Amino acid sequence: MSENKSTINRREFFKGAAMGALGGSVLAMGVYSYSPWRKAQFSPVKRKMADIGACKYVKITNISETSWFNNADLMNDIKGAGGLLVDQYLYNWPPFGDGTGLGKGSYEKGIAKIKHLLPNDVDEAWDITEKLSVHPENAGGYACLIEMEEMNGKQHKYLLDSGWSYKWTHECFKREGIDEMLKNREIEALFISHEHFDHYWGIPVTFKYDPNIPVYIPDTFYPEGLQYLKDSGHTGEVIKVKPGLKPIVPGFATYVFAIPIICRVYGEQSMYFNIKDRGLVSVTGCCHQSIIQFAETAYQEIKYENDELYGVYGGLHVSPFEDWDPKYDDLVLSLGKYDFKKIGCNHCTGIVCAKKFAAAGYPIVKGTARYRSKEDVYLGNGDRIGFGIDV
Amino acid sequence: MERYGVGYLEERKLVKRWPQPMPAIVALVLTLAVFYVTWWIFQDSRGWMRMYTPYVGYMYTRWWLIMLIWMVYIFNYWPFKRSWLENSHPLYKGAILTAISVGILVILIKGFFEGLLGNLGLAYFNPGRLLELPGVTEFFAIEYAALACLMFAAIASWLSPAWVVACEEAPWQNMSQPAKGISILVMTFFLSTMIYFMTMHSHMGILYYPWQYFTSIAPPYWERFADTVSGNFHVSWIMCATVTVWIVETIWERFPFKLIKTTWLRRVTAFFGIIAIAWALHFFLYFAQELTWGQAIRGTRRDFAPDWRWLHVGEMAVFFLVPALFITFYCGNWPKRFSLPTNVLVRTLITAVAAILLYYFYYATSHYFLGTQKGFSHPQQFPMIPTIWLINIWLAHHWFMDNWPGWKMVPKTADEIAADHAEEEARLAEVRWNPTLGWGLGVGAVCGVVIYFIILAVLPWAYESITIIH
Repeated sequence: MSENKSTINRREFFKGAAMGALGGSVLAMGVYSYSPWRKAQFSPVKRKMADIGACKYVKITNISETSWFNNADLMNDIKGAGGLLVDQYLYNWPPFGDGTGLGKGSYEKGIAKIKHLLPNDVDEAWDITEKLSVHPENAGGYACLIEMEEMNGKQHKYLLDSGWSYKWTHECFKREGIDEMLKNREIEALFISHEHFDHYWGIPVTFKYDPNIPVYIPDTFYPEGLQYLKDSGHTGEVIKVKPGLKPIVPGFATYVFAIPIICRVYGEQSMYFNIKDRGLVSVTGCCHQSIIQFAETAYQEIKYENDELYGVYGGLHVSPFEDWDPKYDDLVLSLGKYDFKKIGCNHCTGIVCAKKFAAAGYPIVKGTARYRSKEDVYLGNGDRIGFGIDV
Repeated sequence: MERYGVGYLEERKLVKRWPQPMPAIVALVLTLAVFYVTWWIFQDSRGWMRMYTPYVGYMYTRWWLIMLIWMVYIFNYWPFKRSWLENSHPLYKGAILTAISVGILVILIKGFFEGLLGNLGLAYFNPGRLLELPGVTEFFAIEYAALACLMFAAIASWLSPAWVVACEEAPWQNMSQPAKGISILVMTFFLSTMIYFMTMHSHMGILYYPWQYFTSIAPPYWERFADTVSGNFHVSWIMCATVTVWIVETIWERFPFKLIKTTWLRRVTAFFGIIAIAWALHFFLYFAQELTWGQAIRGTRRDFAPDWRWLHVGEMAVFFLVPALFITFYCGNWPKRFSLPTNVLVRTLITAVAAILLYYFYYATSHYFLGTQKGFSHPQQFPMIPTIWLINIWLAHHWFMDNWPGWKMVPKTADEIAADHAEEEARLAEVRWNPTLGWGLGVGAVCGVVIYFIILAVLPWAYESITIIH
């Protein structure tokens, strides 16, 4: 009888304990998890303060920020091919068009049509791919020339990205004298921000003039992207940059963010320049990681002048397709606290976003709306910006 | 009088054709095969219809879930007669009922949301109307309209089952179909509309430039509390509420609310209790991300953005729903040998462990076979789409096809139904207040709080020790 009673008591106890455990954990979850007390669990940010040195200035020439010319055509292609997850090499966009139509392409079939012409005959290659591709007239591209000077007076020139359309990139290179600089080996390296069509697919135009130029890519490229480097006639060194900080010369480092990006691309490489007596300047291709993440990463990783974020240049990837989302407003509302002194945005920042930035009173550098850039609300094709130097 | 499917799920006996675990394995393999084939046809970005854009595919997935709930939980299979439900072959029944659910789905989206509401009420439900805005492309016009329908669906997928599970169909529980179904549908749709306006409309209002100050509250009232203007804050807790409703209905067997004997109090407590549990989950899953990835940073994107973190709370929550439903549908709500509270606790623990494993498996491997891309926070990474798609298939299999072929449906006899009721009464009577139970309750509550803090301590270490995405 007493054994029976003890069994009953044990059962009763566990019954209560089971209810209590569920109730107690739910109660703790509800009361503590979003309370101010939870912040006691967070450890303070440990700044690594990596010393990348300092430089006198950085000057940027916008070779092209117009990655495509007609947003509706681009989005209709994306929609028709199955959306923003579709592998970019399948769209049948130039230069990998094979004549089979939207969403049915492949890198192998596309490159086979033009490989024999790369890199020297890029114009002829484009003539061929124009006939085989979807919306070849819509292709533009993103590229900029970066000029910087070290504290000892040594000057450097770099290219960030190499556009998309061979025809458009070639035209822009000639307009800004990039072709001659490459030919004269004045440009020390080509940095590819990420594998997207509008930043990367125009590389043969760079290699036409300097096939031996060192190329820095994020080490997250897909096999097709790596093969394209070879098929484009590149003969120089390829530096695959792992996620994290990579110092290049005093005052200049790149940082690779391991992030997934639309159209099956992974990883983005952006640039930090530490300008003497001014602060940190961020130069980006698309900045898929977001400018605030880029700034926060700088805060955690590197030491910079005056502990100030001084300027920004490049695409900030807010509304590249002129779409909008309330989360973009979070950026517009929050950017002010980072106190950038000079914002040279364009490209995938989006015109609506630039207008919202301007309305919020941020120091947006206006452009001239030349060479097919649509509005002067931000820096357009052929425009220049300097950080630590007047241009 | 024709009963249609009233009480059908409770009054059917699913007899295993083989000993366990064979029926569960067969059901899993079969439903996964159907999942993958249909995923390829409808959703996969490499497949046929490529609806995973993502919002179009997500919206149809979510509303299809609600169609299934409406047909079974609210309308009790009306207008199909009980004899048809009991005597038709599961394949035939499944095909007919699934086809009808899809038909209603298309009528609802195209007819009600896009046609009626989008043309006569709120323009953002209609892609054609949105295209008239300068600069909006067709792709985003369709996406924005799908997003609006989707946000409505999130609320409806919580309230539709909640009215049955928590409120026990009151006050229409004794009404015959279709009057009962129509009444509950109108009530839940009305509540969904109200909550939509208070939680999601402001999100849509600031989706356009300039902010639509005069038609929606902008910036939204939750901005400071949630650290974002995005409606994902509400998507998060509403998704948690949806998951909680189903956990209460399945592995919790409506425990602990069914212990309350006073009818009105039980219903009110269940309805708001589910919301309270959902909010606890909502806060905890956000906190879990802060502990593993670090504090969110407003204005940034991807895995550090507060709006994405809130969305991810909903995504994490749905991983709990998958094993919970599997345990109920295919494992007979195992275990059943202990007391009701202990059974519930054991099932909850199993579900939590399985959810963590499923989360790991999804992010480590899904990009190899779903046509998605690796990474937690890719803008097109929506684990709620494949998980709810699979859940929909399970619902169709369990509700429309009686778990065929692993199980055979046999209607329970009157004696068996009476025995079920007696057993349920006995189980409830077993959980009665006594001092020993009180001690257990107190000790258990302390243990629950301690376990919570242990989890908080372990989470950062565990995340650092495991690489999910290579």
